[in-house]
Formats: sequence, structure tokens, C-alpha cells
Amino acid sequence: MSPFALLFGGALLSPLIQGGYWLKGLTLLLLTIAGYNIWLGEGVGLAFFAQTDAIRFFEGILVLVAAALVLHLDDTESGRLTQLLFIVAGSMALLESTTLLSFVISFEALSIISFVLVSNINSEKQAEGAIKLFFAGATSTGIVLLGLALFTLSGQSVDTPLAATQDSFVLVSLFIVLIGIFYKLTIFPMHAWAADSYAQVNHVDAAILSAVMKTVVALATFQLFSPLLTSLNQNMIIGLAILAVVTMTLGNLLALYQKNIAKMLAYSSIAHAGYMLIPFAAIASHDAPTAILYLAIAYLFMQTAVFLILDRLHKDQGIASVEDLKGLARKNPLYALLFSVQLFSLAGIPLLAGFLAKAVAFYAGVDAGLWPLVLIALLNSALSVAYYAWLVKQMYFDEAYNPQPIINKAGFVWSELILLAGTLYFGVVAVDVFRVAS
Amino acid sequence: MGYLGMILAPIFLAVFVYALFGHRPALVRGIALATFVLQFVFSAHLFSQLPDTGFVLLGSFLAVDAFHFALTLQVDSLSVVMLLLSSLLLFLVTLSSWTIEKPAAYFSLLILFSGAIMGVFMTSNMLWFFMFWELTLLPMFFLVGIWGGERRIYAAIKFFLYTHAASVLMLLAFFLVYTQTGFFDFTLVKEAAIATPALVWWLLFIGFAIKLPVFPFHTWLPDAHVEAPAPVSVLLAGVLLKMGAYGLIRFGIEMMPETSREFALYMLAFGLLTAFFAGLLAIYQTHIKKMVAYSSISHMGLVLIAISTVSYEGLSAALFEMLGHAAIISPLFLIAGMIYQQTGSYQMRDMGGMMQQAPYLSAIFVLAGMAALGMPATMGFIGEVTIYLSSIKIYGAGIAVMAILSLISAGYLIWTFRRVIYGECSPLMASSAFKINPIEFSALLVFAVLIVLFGIYPQPIFDVANQSFFMLGGH
Repeated sequence: MSPFALLFGGALLSPLIQGGYWLKGLTLLLLTIAGYNIWLGEGVGLAFFAQTDAIRFFEGILVLVAAALVLHLDDTESGRLTQLLFIVAGSMALLESTTLLSFVISFEALSIISFVLVSNINSEKQAEGAIKLFFAGATSTGIVLLGLALFTLSGQSVDTPLAATQDSFVLVSLFIVLIGIFYKLTIFPMHAWAADSYAQVNHVDAAILSAVMKTVVALATFQLFSPLLTSLNQNMIIGLAILAVVTMTLGNLLALYQKNIAKMLAYSSIAHAGYMLIPFAAIASHDAPTAILYLAIAYLFMQTAVFLILDRLHKDQGIASVEDLKGLARKNPLYALLFSVQLFSLAGIPLLAGFLAKAVAFYAGVDAGLWPLVLIALLNSALSVAYYAWLVKQMYFDEAYNPQPIINKAGFVWSELILLAGTLYFGVVAVDVFRVAS
Repeated sequence: MGYLGMILAPIFLAVFVYALFGHRPALVRGIALATFVLQFVFSAHLFSQLPDTGFVLLGSFLAVDAFHFALTLQVDSLSVVMLLLSSLLLFLVTLSSWTIEKPAAYFSLLILFSGAIMGVFMTSNMLWFFMFWELTLLPMFFLVGIWGGERRIYAAIKFFLYTHAASVLMLLAFFLVYTQTGFFDFTLVKEAAIATPALVWWLLFIGFAIKLPVFPFHTWLPDAHVEAPAPVSVLLAGVLLKMGAYGLIRFGIEMMPETSREFALYMLAFGLLTAFFAGLLAIYQTHIKKMVAYSSISHMGLVLIAISTVSYEGLSAALFEMLGHAAIISPLFLIAGMIYQQTGSYQMRDMGGMMQQAPYLSAIFVLAGMAALGMPATMGFIGEVTIYLSSIKIYGAGIAVMAILSLISAGYLIWTFRRVIYGECSPLMASSAFKINPIEFSALLVFAVLIVLFGIYPQPIFDVANQSFFMLGGH
């Protein structure tokens, strides 16, 4: 059975089930069946949607990460389970889109679910974050639709795959679509909303928005637009490279100044959007598809993990600012270890997925002749170690203000172990990603 | 698979060792000791398997053919010597930190470090080399940051950022080599195939120079050395600095000999600057550990001068000096740490008359110090003399001016003996008992024996150098 239909149907029916505990179990079961079907090679299964090996591999990982998210959620958060199922289904549709029309429709659907997701509001601050997300999302939608309208004016068909073209009108219209998408990817100068939204909304939502949504949109955009990217001339490639450089530098520099952990992670997420743009600029390299896939996989694991840990710490001891982390290694050594490993992965320390993903992406850049871009990206990556190591410093080198220990929570630990396994596996074994991407 | 296990098992099992046996520190210490002994035996076994020249292939794992990315394990005599040195130092470091605080975490980090360092010296794939190279930073960061002195956090973060930023340049160089030649394996790269040799060489040189460390990129080292506990300083000086020299020899000299010859004078200039500058700064220090740290930098400057000759004699001398440096600087650091433990001070003005309180410790300190300034019948003498001779052969008699370096080192070391070891017993010294744990003392004895043994009978090391640098015109 099509995993898409399964997840979508399950999401529609899930409000009928009372009791968070049961719903959690059923959601996990549903994800397992969907994952098995994806493994068998089934996708959305509709016209205008098709599944490549790379996409199938990523969808499998997405389902795994969704399972980790489900395990993390408390029994009282059953509303999120429904939204999570919708998001996985919507992500599958977006990833498998082969035409501009199906892409735009899936993109809209995913946007709307994200609006619903952040409307689980408990405080004024969360409301502010949600409204920012909504306005940015609406603007993004508007721009995408403008691009789509211009594209149809050019007389091109919206229900055939994009092809390389030299028609400047088509290029401009598609570039407008890309700019709309860049809002979701938080590329400079469309990034400003994200720093606030990711930090202000609930941390689980932030994990879904900054990790799941961002990687899905990046990968799907790369899939659909790569024929177009190959027809860009050198100046436009340099333009993309400059966007990448500005985005990562800005994200990293601003992250250095943050005193709030969520905000620091939000800026780090913006910096990572800059890294994700490197494969777009390095389209001339035949390693670019591997690079974007690897970045997406690695980022999905580590970014989800750090926001979930933050959520757990926030729920247990109200930890929000960097100072609150002091002495975590003594309060709960396991949480501190899990957090540190994922932070080091984000920083690009080897034998963790973050390093290999960046290495492949940076190599693609060198291969495409953009070594100055890669040099800046490498220095950025070195700079980013400063704030990740600063968090680790608080956890391990400092004494706690409030020495009360934190007790391990089983569901959370399991979810983190799943994500840790991903970070470690893809940090050492690169062969799978290369196999599916080629 | 056994070879792979030698690298990956310590890396991934270190966390489990800590988690499972954290409450039984003696057991963790035992596991650490066993690991390092095993690694030493394994390296010795590899040594016996080596062919006369060239590499022996141990296997290739985790291969990604599309990216030429595989954990290829290949060793030659140079790498095996580094393996022997690292595992021996790790073993001695374990002995000399027998009574450290929070032992479980400390020894787990040492185990993690041992796996990474094995990887650095065993792989011939540049990307994996880089990965292990970077991974060594992680345990060092925690070792300095948790067990260090007052300014440990500043030192740990500075060390981490500085060396990490340096190594990204190296990674860019590796990528350029791969995109231009199509190989990540340095044994397959042909220098002629590198399209931008100057760019690649300089990126590599800066990357390794910061690790070495070369003036003006040395500032992380005095901080890290001063704040780190003494056994960790031994690892920093004995293993981490050697990684820089090893990388320079492997990638600078062996992979790109022609380009290295082209830029030899720059290397020489950096080497002379480092040796003189650090030597002069060492005279100026009143902090005993800082004095040893600058002396260590000065000796690494000599190593760089020897490497800059790009000749068989020069590299043999460099290898000898690298090993000599490990044997000589380590006991100096360890004794400086013991003095601090006993007296609570690193300042030389508080000291004096240690000979009366701790004659054996003082004797080893004087022996190592004399070796550092190049006394005959010690490793220091052979290292320095061969470096002078090889540079005179390449650069002409004018380079003999660097004999002044011996004078400088005599200046700071003999003055240090005067201030610390001999003279009147200072009140602080007189009030210290100097009860040294016999196990920690035994590590010092091993260093002392090594200094004298290879000072009198240096031939085994030159035999190894002959195997390693045959291609540069050995005998």
C-alpha cells in the first residue's frame, strides 16, 4: 500500500482516537508500516510524482526521525502526532514531485501544516513566533505563486519536468519561484523571520521546522531545479555562491552573540542553510546530488536531536539560556553526552555525520571550481566551533547553579539513541549515501 | 579487521568504558594500560613485518569507490616509528597520571585519543587522515579543559579553535589535490599531476606549521602547555607536535618534493625564526612550565630547519630530533608538574635547593635539561649535531650561525638549574615533603634510560630513517 495514503489516512483518522498513549503506539505502528512500504519501493504513487533511489532512502530516514519525534512526545501532546503524520506525508509528496505544479501544491500543503503546527500556543512569546512564521510563509507562498504565474505566461507547461533552458523569461520566473522557496530555507536576506520563530515556538515545533521542513524543501528543490541550475551562467552561479557565503557568515557571527540556546541553534540553522546552498552553486560537480543528500540526512539527525534535547531540558528544569546549562554533565551525564555529540556533529567534528556531509559538500564546491567559496565555508565552519564548544564548556567545565539532578526519561532516551545512531553511522559509513545518490 | 579494530575500537568503546566502569576507576586505568600495551605490541609486530623500503598494505575498509574514499591502512617505517612513540608515550603518561583526579573520565579520554592517533599514523587516505587528525582535538580539549589549571577554559578553547581553524586549510589542500589528481591516497598522488602546487603546498604548510608550532602561529601552545596537567603536556609535546612534523614530512616532502625544494628557504626562515624567538623567550620566563614549553617550541624549530633541507641527511636528523624531543621534553614537563604538586608554585623565584629535597628527581631533571642543550652522550647531542651538519651541507657554512641556539638553550637551562635545583633550599622547597608515587617515578626513569641509550647507540633510529627516506638518496 502506498505509504503516502497510509500516513495521510492515518492522520485524518487519528483525532478519532482518545488517549495519547494509544495514539502514540498506533502512530509508531503506522510509521513502521509506512517505513516498510518505502523500503519495498513504494512512494506517493500518483501521476506527477516519482521516486528516485535517493528520495526513497531519504524518505526512509525521514520516517525513522519521525518515529524518534513520536517517542519523544509526552502523552499529552497528541495533537502533534496528527500534525507529524501530515508533515511526513506532505514531505513525501514534495520530495517526489516531478513537475512545477505538483511541487507548488505540495509546498503549499506543507506550509499550511506548518502554520497549524505552530498554532499550539501557550504564551505570548510563542504567539509572536507563530505569527512571524505565518507572515513569512504567506509572503513565501505569494512569491512562489508569482513565479509560477510568470512561468505559465511564458507558454511553458507546468505539468512536465523542468528542463534546461536559455530563455531568460523562463529563467527569471523560475528564479522568482526559487526566491520564494529561499524563505523556507532561510537564505539571506529571507532569513530574518527564522531566528525569532525557531527560538520562540515550542522546541519540538522548532525541531520539525528547522530540521525536517528545511531538509525536505532543500532536497526537493534541488531535485526539481537541478536541470535549471545547470543552465545558469557563471554570474548567476557566483550570485548563488555569494548568497551562500553571506548566509553562513551572518548565521555564524550572530550565533556567537546569543545568550539563549534556542536562538543560538536558530542562527546555527541559518548558517547551515548557507552550507546547503553550496551544492546548488556547485551544480557543475557530479558530486553535487550526493552532497545535498548527505547534508540533508546529517542535518536531519543532528538538528532534530539538539532541539529535542533542549525541549527535554526546558521541560525538566526550565533551561533556556546558555548559563542554565552549567554543570549539566554532573546533573545528568547522559543528556550532556548526547547533547555534546550532536553539537560536535553540527560543528563538523569527524566521525560524526556533520563532518562527512560538509566534506562532501565542500568537495563538490572545489570540484566545481569554487574553491574560494569553500575556503570561506571552511573558515565559517571553524568559527562555528566557537559557539558549539561554548555550550559544551558550560556543560562540562562549569559548576551548576542548581545542582539538582535530572532524571532520565525512557521515551526521550530512546528517541535520542535513534538520532545518535544516525549521526554516528553516517559519520563513518559513507557508502550508502553515495550508492543511492548516483 | 584486527587493524581496523586497533583504531576504531578505542574510539567507540571509550564512552562505554566510562559509562560501564565509571565507578571503578582502577579498572578503567587497567583497561587503558592494557590498551596501550596492546597497541605497543601491535606496533612492534608491524615493525617486524616492514619491508626494506616503502609501504605495507594492511587493508582497505569502508570503501566508497565513487569518491576514492576508503579507510586504507598502509604503513611504512616512518609511520610505525610514530606508532611506537605514541603508544609508548601513552603508556608512560598513564603511569605518570596514576593518582589523577576523576580517573575514569581521564583514562577514557586517553583511550579515545589513542584510537585517533593510531588512525592518523596508519591511514594513507588523506580524508581519513584529516578525520583522525581532527578527532585528536576532542579528547585534548576535554583533558585541558577539565584537568587544567586556573585559566584552563581559556586555554582549552583557544587550543581547539586555533588548531581547528588551521586544519581546515589542510582539508582544502586535500580537496584540491583530489580534484586535480583523482586520488585521496597520498601514496598514489604524483606531484606532476597537481595543477596548482604552490597553493596546495602553502595551504598544507600553514596547516602543519600551526600544529608544529611555527612562529608566529605558536601562541596556542604556551597557553595549552601551561594550563594542561603535566601528563597531558607530555602528550601535547610528544604526540601532537609530532603530528605536525609527520604531516609536513608526509605531504610536504614526500608527496611534493619539488615544490618543497622551491620553498625550502621559506621553511628555513620560519624554522630559524621559531628556534631563535622561542629560545629567547624561554630565557625570559620565570614560570618553569612556560620555560619548558618555549624550549619545546625552539626544538621544533630545529626540526623544521632539518626538514627544510629536503635531503636524506636532513630528514634523518629531523626524525631523530623528533624522537629525542619526545624523550627529553616529557620528563621536564612531568617534573615541573611534580614540583607544582609538591610546592603549589610554578614560579622559579620560589624554588631552589631541590637537590637536597629530592635528589633523584633533580638528577633526572638535570639529565633531561643537559640533553635539551645538547650534551654529548644524550639524544639531544646527536639530534642537534646531525641537524647542524645536514644544514651546513645544503645551505653552506653560514648556517653554522645557528650554533648560537645551543648557547641560548644553555643560557636558559643552566640558569634554571641554578634557580631550581641547586643553591640554598628555599622556604617553600624546605616545607615540601616530595613524596613521589613510585609508579609515577618509574615513568621518569624510562625517559632517562631512553635519553642515554639512544644517545650512546643512535644507530637503530638512523636505520629506520634510512628505510623511511630512502627515496631522497639513502644508503
